[in-house]
Amino acid sequence: MSQFEPKIVAFVCNWCTYAGADLAGTSRAKYATNVRIIRFPCTGRIDFMLLMKAFQNGSDGIIISGCHPNDCHYTSGNFHARRRWMVFRSLIEFMGFDTERITFSWVSAAEGAKWADLVNEVTTKVRELGPFTEFKNLDYNSFNQLDNGAITK
Amino acid sequence: MEQLQNKVAELFEKGTISLMIGFQDGMSKGAVPCFVESVEQVKLLIYNSYCKNNLAVYLHKPEVKQAKKVGIFGNVATLRSILQLLSENQFWNIELTVMTINANQEFILFESIAEVEKYVQANFPQLTDEEKELIEKINTMSRQERWEYWKDLFSTCIKCYACRAVCPMCYCPQCTVESNQPQWIKVSAQTSGNMEWHTMRAMHLAGRCINCGECGRICPVGIPVHLLTAKMNLDLSKEFGSKTGYSASNGYALNSFNPNDKEGFIR
Repeated sequence: MSQFEPKIVAFVCNWCTYAGADLAGTSRAKYATNVRIIRFPCTGRIDFMLLMKAFQNGSDGIIISGCHPNDCHYTSGNFHARRRWMVFRSLIEFMGFDTERITFSWVSAAEGAKWADLVNEVTTKVRELGPFTEFKNLDYNSFNQLDNGAITK
Repeated sequence: MEQLQNKVAELFEKGTISLMIGFQDGMSKGAVPCFVESVEQVKLLIYNSYCKNNLAVYLHKPEVKQAKKVGIFGNVATLRSILQLLSENQFWNIELTVMTINANQEFILFESIAEVEKYVQANFPQLTDEEKELIEKINTMSRQERWEYWKDLFSTCIKCYACRAVCPMCYCPQCTVESNQPQWIKVSAQTSGNMEWHTMRAMHLAGRCINCGECGRICPVGIPVHLLTAKMNLDLSKEFGSKTGYSASNGYALNSFNPNDKEGFIR
């Protein structure tokens, strides 16, 4: 059987991390192809529901990345986002959600190398964690109590 | 009780209020919310230990807002909701007259919102021991156990949205859960959709919930949903010093920021 290839969704801000990923590309840095980048105007736009939606649609890991604090194009978007993530993270942790699968990071437009490293690291980590079946299995278990075994695919 | 009725009658005669939200005798034992519109109905008003509902939830109803001058009776939790809602600019078009009965069973009619603030601040409620214990119990579980714990609870959720209907802070005319383009949350009551719904509810109430515990009390299948928001409140007060329903000029923790916020998970 071939090796498990995780699907990773990256929610990135237009001004820093997207440009950083661009730099990684133009400087021909090689990094894992598992990542699907979604560009947002600002980290402040990244609603927690989008993360839920990504997991709902079968992503195994999530990267959220934006400008370093004090570098936001809109002055304070990432500060607001940071607070929201702190709250969101502690909530899902309280609910027993696997927070290992969500990686938060600051990557500036000049940090193409950091972006490549980040993607590689996260891909390795999620590959070790395996497919994210906990969330998908929720419905199977509740619908089919007799089927005690988890459906993994 | 008579004091309450007399005072309300007086307010009606003076024209200070045109609608009073209070409690009346319910079926068998208990109390149900009642809306008094004239002096004749004032006799209905009662107060006893069953008067636990958070009546602030009715203040958003268009019928109530039409009355313009509204009197409301409630416990500390209700007063807190009123303060929090005032800080969210929800009552710009109605005049509120607030009354309560304190721990010594004395009737209090507040002259101004500043007095309500003073009363709430002097009697600021804490989480009950039961709630604290449960949160502590969940906190000490392993991640897997926590997941199983909530999974079992959420699998019973029937998505009746009673927790939303009873919450004075849930006043959006259209809730995200009803949005179908995009469909954020699955419509059917499946565990995954239920979990998303409760996550969303807790997030939207983080820093706004006033811990009245109505959502947990009302839940027909007994899910302690109030624990999620209670936990959020504990975190928010610890990290950002937010105190919901403490004054009518409270900020909202997630609507503001501090450049020095400390977090240990962003690389």
